[in-house]
Amino acid sequence: MKIRERKRDGVVILELNGKLMGGPDAAAFNDTLKTLIHEGHRNVLVDLAKVNWVNSTGLGILISGYSTVRRSGGDLRLLNVSDRVESIFMVSKLHTVFVSYSNEEEAVRSFA
Amino acid sequence: MTSANGSSQQVEVMLPSRLLFLGVPDAILMELAGDLPFEQKDIDELSTAVIEACTNAMEHGNGMEQERRVELHFRFAPDEIRVTVLDQGAGFDFRNWQPPDGLMRERGRGITIMREFTDELTFDHAPDGRFRVQLVKRHPRQD
Repeated sequence: MKIRERKRDGVVILELNGKLMGGPDAAAFNDTLKTLIHEGHRNVLVDLAKVNWVNSTGLGILISGYSTVRRSGGDLRLLNVSDRVESIFMVSKLHTVFVSYSNEEEAVRSFA
Repeated sequence: MTSANGSSQQVEVMLPSRLLFLGVPDAILMELAGDLPFEQKDIDELSTAVIEACTNAMEHGNGMEQERRVELHFRFAPDEIRVTVLDQGAGFDFRNWQPPDGLMRERGRGITIMREFTDELTFDHAPDGRFRVQLVKRHPRQD
Protein backbone atom coordinates (compact mmCIF):
# COMPACT_ATOMS: atom_id res chain seq x y z
CA MET A 1 0.00 0.00 0.00
CA LYS A 2 1.26 3.48 -0.88
CA ILE A 3 0.49 6.58 1.17
CA ARG A 4 0.42 10.02 -0.44
CA GLU A 5 0.15 13.00 1.86
CA ARG A 6 -1.18 16.45 1.06
CA LYS A 7 -2.74 19.32 3.00
CA ARG A 8 -5.84 21.39 2.40
CA ASP A 9 -7.14 24.15 4.67
CA GLY A 10 -5.40 22.75 7.73
CA VAL A 11 -6.51 19.18 7.11
CA VAL A 12 -4.02 16.46 6.23
CA ILE A 13 -5.33 14.20 3.49
CA LEU A 14 -3.76 10.75 3.33
CA GLU A 15 -4.44 9.04 0.01
CA LEU A 16 -4.02 5.30 0.39
CA ASN A 17 -3.40 3.28 -2.77
CA GLY A 18 -3.59 -0.51 -2.96
CA LYS A 19 -4.78 -3.08 -0.46
CA LEU A 20 -5.11 -2.35 3.24
CA MET A 21 -4.20 -5.69 4.78
CA GLY A 22 -1.70 -5.52 7.62
CA GLY A 23 1.96 -6.46 7.60
CA PRO A 24 4.17 -3.47 6.75
CA ASP A 25 1.06 -1.36 6.03
CA ALA A 26 0.37 -1.08 9.74
CA ALA A 27 3.78 0.36 10.62
CA ALA A 28 3.76 2.72 7.62
CA PHE A 29 0.34 4.12 8.47
CA ASN A 30 1.03 4.45 12.19
CA ASP A 31 4.44 6.06 11.60
CA THR A 32 2.84 8.58 9.24
CA LEU A 33 0.20 9.49 11.81
CA LYS A 34 2.69 9.79 14.65
CA THR A 35 4.87 12.10 12.57
CA LEU A 36 1.88 14.26 11.68
CA ILE A 37 0.80 14.50 15.31
CA HIS A 38 4.37 15.34 16.35
CA GLU A 39 4.31 18.16 13.78
CA GLY A 40 1.11 19.49 15.31
CA HIS A 41 -1.43 18.18 12.82
CA ARG A 42 -4.62 16.88 14.39
CA ASN A 43 -7.18 16.71 11.59
CA VAL A 44 -6.72 13.73 9.29
CA LEU A 45 -8.81 12.70 6.32
CA VAL A 46 -8.05 9.24 4.93
CA ASP A 47 -8.94 8.94 1.24
CA LEU A 48 -9.79 5.32 0.35
CA ALA A 49 -10.71 5.95 -3.30
CA LYS A 50 -7.77 3.87 -4.53
CA VAL A 51 -8.06 1.09 -1.97
CA ASN A 52 -9.21 -2.07 -3.73
CA TRP A 53 -10.11 -3.95 -0.60
CA VAL A 54 -9.63 -4.03 3.16
CA ASN A 55 -9.39 -7.12 5.33
CA SER A 56 -10.00 -7.35 9.07
CA THR A 57 -6.32 -6.65 9.76
CA GLY A 58 -6.62 -3.54 7.64
CA LEU A 59 -9.63 -2.49 9.68
CA GLY A 60 -7.43 -2.87 12.75
CA ILE A 61 -4.91 -0.47 11.21
CA LEU A 62 -7.63 2.15 10.73
CA ILE A 63 -8.95 1.59 14.26
CA SER A 64 -5.47 1.98 15.71
CA GLY A 65 -4.95 5.14 13.68
CA TYR A 66 -8.31 6.53 14.72
CA SER A 67 -7.50 5.93 18.39
CA THR A 68 -4.05 7.52 18.02
CA VAL A 69 -5.43 10.68 16.44
CA ARG A 70 -8.33 10.94 18.89
CA ARG A 71 -5.95 10.62 21.85
CA SER A 72 -4.02 13.58 20.48
CA GLY A 73 -7.19 15.67 20.53
CA GLY A 74 -7.88 15.43 16.81
CA ASP A 75 -10.09 13.37 14.57
CA LEU A 76 -9.68 10.91 11.72
CA ARG A 77 -12.40 10.77 9.07
CA LEU A 78 -12.78 8.85 5.84
CA LEU A 79 -13.25 9.94 2.24
CA ASN A 80 -14.40 8.02 -0.84
CA VAL A 81 -15.23 4.69 0.75
CA SER A 82 -16.23 2.23 -1.99
CA ASP A 83 -19.30 0.04 -1.67
CA ARG A 84 -17.08 -2.99 -1.18
CA VAL A 85 -15.06 -1.40 1.62
CA GLU A 86 -18.17 0.09 3.19
CA SER A 87 -19.73 -3.36 3.45
CA ILE A 88 -16.93 -4.55 5.72
CA PHE A 89 -17.44 -1.47 7.93
CA MET A 90 -21.14 -2.31 8.09
CA VAL A 91 -20.76 -5.93 9.19
CA SER A 92 -18.14 -4.84 11.72
CA LYS A 93 -20.46 -2.07 12.95
CA LEU A 94 -17.56 0.35 12.54
CA HIS A 95 -19.72 2.61 10.39
CA THR A 96 -21.00 3.86 13.74
CA VAL A 97 -17.47 5.02 14.66
CA PHE A 98 -15.95 6.36 11.45
CA VAL A 99 -17.46 9.43 9.82
CA SER A 100 -17.15 9.23 6.05
CA TYR A 101 -17.69 11.59 3.14
CA SER A 102 -17.89 11.26 -0.62
CA ASN A 103 -17.00 14.90 -1.30
CA GLU A 104 -13.55 16.22 -0.37
CA GLU A 105 -14.58 19.84 0.10
CA GLU A 106 -17.43 18.86 2.41
CA ALA A 107 -15.10 16.55 4.33
CA VAL A 108 -12.47 19.27 4.81
CA ARG A 109 -15.12 21.78 5.92
CA SER A 110 -16.41 19.31 8.50
CA PHE A 111 -13.21 19.81 10.54
CA ALA A 112 -13.79 23.59 10.85
CA MET B 1 -4.88 -24.96 -13.90
CA THR B 2 -8.46 -24.69 -15.09
CA SER B 3 -10.49 -27.67 -16.19
CA ALA B 4 -14.00 -27.89 -17.51
CA ASN B 5 -16.27 -30.25 -15.60
CA GLY B 6 -19.74 -30.21 -17.05
CA SER B 7 -21.07 -26.72 -16.40
CA SER B 8 -18.56 -25.95 -13.65
CA GLN B 9 -15.00 -24.73 -13.74
CA GLN B 10 -12.41 -25.68 -11.15
CA VAL B 11 -9.21 -23.90 -10.26
CA GLU B 12 -6.59 -24.92 -7.72
CA VAL B 13 -3.72 -22.74 -6.52
CA MET B 14 -1.02 -22.97 -3.85
CA LEU B 15 0.12 -19.79 -2.13
CA PRO B 16 3.18 -19.17 0.05
CA SER B 17 2.22 -17.76 3.45
CA ARG B 18 2.84 -14.13 2.60
CA LEU B 19 0.19 -11.42 2.80
CA LEU B 20 1.47 -10.18 -0.54
CA PHE B 21 -0.40 -13.06 -2.17
CA LEU B 22 -3.83 -12.21 -0.70
CA GLY B 23 -4.65 -10.46 -3.95
CA VAL B 24 -4.48 -13.74 -5.87
CA PRO B 25 -7.82 -15.24 -4.72
CA ASP B 26 -9.44 -11.85 -5.28
CA ALA B 27 -8.11 -11.71 -8.84
CA ILE B 28 -9.29 -15.28 -9.56
CA LEU B 29 -12.78 -14.57 -8.27
CA MET B 30 -13.08 -11.27 -10.15
CA GLU B 31 -11.88 -12.85 -13.38
CA LEU B 32 -13.82 -16.12 -13.34
CA ALA B 33 -17.02 -15.26 -11.46
CA GLY B 34 -17.77 -12.36 -13.77
CA ASP B 35 -19.22 -14.70 -16.39
CA LEU B 36 -21.64 -16.27 -13.90
CA PRO B 37 -25.09 -14.86 -13.05
CA PHE B 38 -23.95 -13.33 -9.76
CA GLU B 39 -24.26 -9.71 -8.72
CA GLN B 40 -20.93 -7.90 -8.29
CA LYS B 41 -21.87 -7.32 -4.64
CA ASP B 42 -22.07 -11.09 -4.07
CA ILE B 43 -18.70 -11.67 -5.73
CA ASP B 44 -17.14 -8.86 -3.67
CA GLU B 45 -18.55 -10.33 -0.46
CA LEU B 46 -17.30 -13.82 -1.22
CA SER B 47 -13.89 -12.47 -2.17
CA THR B 48 -13.66 -10.50 1.07
CA ALA B 49 -14.58 -13.65 3.01
CA VAL B 50 -12.00 -15.74 1.14
CA ILE B 51 -9.33 -13.10 1.81
CA GLU B 52 -10.19 -13.40 5.53
CA ALA B 53 -9.90 -17.18 5.37
CA CYS B 54 -6.52 -16.90 3.64
CA THR B 55 -5.32 -14.27 6.13
CA ASN B 56 -6.18 -16.63 9.00
CA ALA B 57 -4.59 -19.58 7.18
CA MET B 58 -1.33 -17.68 6.67
CA GLU B 59 -1.16 -16.01 10.09
CA HIS B 60 -2.72 -18.50 12.49
CA GLY B 61 -2.54 -21.75 10.54
CA ASN B 62 0.88 -21.51 8.95
CA GLY B 63 2.43 -18.99 11.35
CA MET B 64 3.56 -16.83 8.39
CA GLU B 65 6.18 -19.44 7.49
CA GLN B 66 6.54 -18.92 3.76
CA GLU B 67 7.35 -22.52 2.97
CA ARG B 68 4.04 -23.62 4.50
CA ARG B 69 1.47 -23.30 1.75
CA VAL B 70 -2.16 -22.29 1.64
CA GLU B 71 -4.05 -24.40 -0.87
CA LEU B 72 -7.17 -23.02 -2.51
CA HIS B 73 -9.80 -24.87 -4.54
CA PHE B 74 -12.34 -22.82 -6.45
CA ARG B 75 -15.41 -24.36 -8.04
CA PHE B 76 -17.48 -22.07 -10.20
CA ALA B 77 -20.98 -23.19 -11.18
CA PRO B 78 -24.01 -21.18 -12.30
CA ASP B 79 -25.81 -21.83 -9.02
CA GLU B 80 -22.92 -21.50 -6.55
CA ILE B 81 -19.28 -20.62 -6.08
CA ARG B 82 -17.45 -22.82 -3.58
CA VAL B 83 -13.99 -22.03 -2.26
CA THR B 84 -11.97 -24.37 -0.05
CA VAL B 85 -8.98 -23.06 1.89
CA LEU B 86 -6.52 -25.51 3.45
CA ASP B 87 -3.60 -24.68 5.71
CA GLN B 88 -0.98 -26.72 7.53
CA GLY B 89 -1.90 -25.66 11.06
CA ALA B 90 -3.88 -27.36 13.80
CA GLY B 91 -6.95 -25.19 13.38
CA PHE B 92 -8.96 -23.79 16.25
CA ASP B 93 -11.87 -24.79 18.44
CA PHE B 94 -14.48 -23.59 15.96
CA ARG B 95 -17.36 -25.30 17.77
CA ASN B 96 -16.90 -23.10 20.84
CA TRP B 97 -15.71 -19.94 19.12
CA GLN B 98 -17.36 -16.71 20.25
CA PRO B 99 -16.69 -13.27 18.76
CA PRO B 100 -14.49 -11.13 21.04
CA ASP B 101 -16.09 -8.13 22.74
CA GLY B 102 -15.27 -4.51 22.05
CA LEU B 103 -16.20 -2.42 19.04
CA MET B 104 -12.73 -0.83 18.93
CA ARG B 105 -10.73 -4.04 19.15
CA GLU B 106 -8.04 -4.20 16.49
CA ARG B 107 -8.29 -7.96 15.79
CA GLY B 108 -10.84 -10.77 15.93
CA ARG B 109 -13.31 -9.88 13.18
CA GLY B 110 -12.32 -12.37 10.49
CA ILE B 111 -14.77 -15.14 11.32
CA THR B 112 -17.64 -12.70 11.73
CA ILE B 113 -16.88 -11.27 8.28
CA MET B 114 -16.71 -14.76 6.77
CA ARG B 115 -20.06 -15.69 8.30
CA GLU B 116 -21.78 -12.51 7.19
CA PHE B 117 -20.50 -12.67 3.63
CA THR B 118 -21.18 -16.32 2.80
CA ASP B 119 -24.27 -18.51 2.51
CA GLU B 120 -22.44 -21.50 3.92
CA LEU B 121 -19.30 -21.59 6.03
CA THR B 122 -17.78 -24.75 7.45
CA PHE B 123 -14.61 -25.48 9.40
CA ASP B 124 -13.20 -28.98 9.69
CA HIS B 125 -10.10 -31.06 9.01
CA ALA B 126 -9.41 -32.65 5.63
CA PRO B 127 -8.75 -36.42 5.54
CA ASP B 128 -5.00 -35.66 5.43
CA GLY B 129 -5.27 -33.64 8.68
CA ARG B 130 -4.98 -30.15 7.26
CA PHE B 131 -7.35 -27.51 8.61
CA ARG B 132 -10.05 -26.74 6.06
CA VAL B 133 -12.45 -23.83 5.59
CA GLN B 134 -15.19 -24.05 2.98
CA LEU B 135 -16.98 -20.90 1.85
CA VAL B 136 -20.02 -20.96 -0.42
CA LYS B 137 -21.96 -18.21 -2.13
CA ARG B 138 -25.18 -19.29 -3.85
CA HIS B 139 -27.03 -17.57 -6.61
CA PRO B 140 -30.03 -15.86 -4.96
CA ARG B 141 -32.51 -17.72 -7.17
CA GLN B 142 -31.25 -21.02 -5.78
CA ASP B 143 -32.18 -20.16 -2.16
